[in-house]
Amino acid sequence: MNAAIAPATVVVRRTIAASAEDLFDAWLDPEALAIWMRPGGIRKTTAKVDPRVGGRYEIVMQGDSTFPHTGEYRVIDRPKRLVFTWISNGTEQRESLVTVDFLRTGRQTEVVVTHEQLPQSQRTSHTNGWTSALEHLDEHYAA
Amino acid sequence: MGEYKSARLDEVFNALCDPTRRAILARLTDASARVTDIAADFPISLNSISKHIRMLERAGLLRRSVSGRDHVLSLDAEPLAEASAWIERYRRFWEGRLAALDTYVTSKKRKRK
Repeated sequence: MNAAIAPATVVVRRTIAASAEDLFDAWLDPEALAIWMRPGGIRKTTAKVDPRVGGRYEIVMQGDSTFPHTGEYRVIDRPKRLVFTWISNGTEQRESLVTVDFLRTGRQTEVVVTHEQLPQSQRTSHTNGWTSALEHLDEHYAA
Repeated sequence: MGEYKSARLDEVFNALCDPTRRAILARLTDASARVTDIAADFPISLNSISKHIRMLERAGLLRRSVSGRDHVLSLDAEPLAEASAWIERYRRFWEGRLAALDTYVTSKKRKRK
């Protein structure tokens, strides 16, 4: 049953033979996003970004239908960490949170993507992320 | 439908982010149990346990059957399946994107050299 503790969180990691800077920049460059943010079945991706904290992005993936993804940058700490909200059909237009960490391992970089579904009661103030959200929920239910 | 589903998903996630509620679910993994038996397992009041149980019921994670004076609880794992479908979809999505990021950045680097 303990496997169900964190069903709200997806963590995916990959070690890539590139510098943290090059990898980090690919997340905020519309031309780069157009190339690598294109899952199977998507013919064309277009991206618009306003890469500053509080700035918004829009990534539109076009296949048989159009899949817009939007969100707001929360942390831009080049080349270590990038945090942004993520709203799409996949999240049923609710805000979720994506944290990308870039960890140097010699000449390679491990990229760790943590995608979290945000609890409803925390949707308006989740800058501190999931941990803080959990603390607040605990307080809420303990009251 | 989407609205209903995500509201329920919220309740599932909220229900799961408390250690007592997770322990209640864990207690019910193997067999159903009476509310009074569950309450006896935890060092908190019956009233608090009842509150936790009601939250789990609202999230659809518990089923209650009443026989005589006994309220028997059993686990319903189906809402967890919805939560894990969300996880699975994004796991596949991000794995694919990181593979594409790898290809993009490493091939760009080769071209530059």
